[in-house]
Amino acid sequence: MECRVLSIQSHVVRGYVGNKSATFPLQVLGFEVDSINSVQFSNHTGYPHWKGQVLTAEELNVLYEGIKLNKVNRYDYILTGYSRDKSFLEVVVDIIQELKKDNPSLVYVCDPVMGDHGAMYVPENLLPVYKNIVVPLADILTPNQFEAELLTGRKMNKEEDALEVMDLLHKMGPQTVVLTSTDLPSKQGDQFLVAFGSQKIVKPDGTNTSQKICIDIPKVDAVFVGTGDLFAAMLLAWTHHHPKDLKTACEKTVSVMHHVIKRTITYATEMAGPGKRPSPAQLELRMVQSKADIEDPAIVVEAKVLQKSLH
Amino acid sequence: MECRVLSIQSHVVRGYVGNKSASFPLQVLGFEVDSINSVQFSNHTGYSHWKGQVLTADELHVLYEGIKLNNVHHYDYVLTGYTRDTSFLEMVVDIVQELKRANPSLVYVCDPVLGDHGSMYVPQNLYPVYKNKVVPVADIITPNQFEAELLTGKNISTEKDAVEVMDLLHAMGPDTVVITSSDLPPRLGDRFLVCLGSQRHVRPDGSRTTERVRMEVPKVDAVFVGTGDLFAAMLLAWTHHYPNDLKTACEKTFSVMHHVIQRTISYAHGKKRLVINA
Repeated sequence: MECRVLSIQSHVVRGYVGNKSATFPLQVLGFEVDSINSVQFSNHTGYPHWKGQVLTAEELNVLYEGIKLNKVNRYDYILTGYSRDKSFLEVVVDIIQELKKDNPSLVYVCDPVMGDHGAMYVPENLLPVYKNIVVPLADILTPNQFEAELLTGRKMNKEEDALEVMDLLHKMGPQTVVLTSTDLPSKQGDQFLVAFGSQKIVKPDGTNTSQKICIDIPKVDAVFVGTGDLFAAMLLAWTHHHPKDLKTACEKTVSVMHHVIKRTITYATEMAGPGKRPSPAQLELRMVQSKADIEDPAIVVEAKVLQKSLH
Repeated sequence: MECRVLSIQSHVVRGYVGNKSASFPLQVLGFEVDSINSVQFSNHTGYSHWKGQVLTADELHVLYEGIKLNNVHHYDYVLTGYTRDTSFLEMVVDIVQELKRANPSLVYVCDPVLGDHGSMYVPQNLYPVYKNKVVPVADIITPNQFEAELLTGKNISTEKDAVEVMDLLHAMGPDTVVITSSDLPPRLGDRFLVCLGSQRHVRPDGSRTTERVRMEVPKVDAVFVGTGDLFAAMLLAWTHHYPNDLKTACEKTFSVMHHVIQRTISYAHGKKRLVINA
């Protein structure tokens, strides 16, 4: 497999977020990963302390120029995640547009990180950039419920709403949308959260259809950081292997997440000791220890196909 | 295995040198790798063009401070390679010394990158820093012949010279020395190059012994970049698994190198366009 990914995300010296979360699993799966580090921090910002440096939009451009001057600016995938700077995001968009001109079949996997649980945790001025410029370029989008509602201006209270929101997102650009988590009630009870996916497919006869799925995911009582980054990276990998089968791609992706998270919470709880809540340091994803699960995830969830609709 | 490595090396967006060369293999072998990127360049400097940014000694210190403030500055290994800046290198030494105070059994694997084939390719003022400050705190060093001669002030013309040089290096600090390549005449013919290793042990009865190994490695007709970084990382891994058996640790390390290099040269020749410069 000769597949090259350009991943533009954070680097942390210690732990697994951004490029640290995405790169190793993709490399284990045989992808060539070129990584531009948008920041270099000691660790993620959920620790009591964090220190480091950020890359400016100009410096990003300089790095890309180096790649371009050597005529090696050819990628099959681009992957982006958490950004805090509008001008940085705009340079990312310029880069993607140029790379798509060079390779029209390039797939841009975008995690439109803006916030969660009803509140934005990036500067507000990023929303119009995502909405008007970034999402239209994306091929695969992994918003959570809050981000999907923000991008479409539409709230989700029931399953029907989720399906409509995904269709609205398709209209904005991406053929593949995965709502990575929602507050919608799960049929399996309140120990589960519901995720949704939708993929537009062109049938051999030329008509459009979409496959919509939902997955019930067991909740875990802890705050993990970097899981969204791992999710987007693994969705990239599994949609690559199952380009017309979102059900399987999502089952594999969610299963990998499950194995890594389970291993992590077991370790963290053990490290913290009885009755103590694990610290951010203890909760770092057990990525390296999960290599076998990453390579060949045992499927532990079943996605339900909801409906196929014509457009 | 719960083993944490702090690797302070270059990052390139594309390709495999520095941290890009060292991290993935170590992670595949189950090591936790914390990496401080001393630079971020588009690609290594052997390409037609390269662009990027360097980390200053101050910025390195700031990153280390972040780790320390969170009380997670506990490492089993430190790994360093190519550096061009004396103040950066001196900051690295300060960090290693502090980490060794926090964990006296920490192992510092140091590739004392100074030059090759008779000439230096880093600024000359790095030489005294390596000689007087870095090598004395190193536990494992991987100099080539030129670097070993430079550090000890002694030329290597025979195997006997090489053994003496390795003993001089032991006396400077490191218990494990691998001379990663030399001009010594190979017994297997001129398609091979000679590498040597030496490891000091203390026996259970308190007496000292030194294990010496000699390897002859097939030459490959190409210039590779990043192989030294991969070598140091894999020597870290295999001496971790074979701490008292330098022979096996070196056989595994050189074998990994062989497989990666073979696969690389086959791929490079297989492509229609000549890509060895890219």
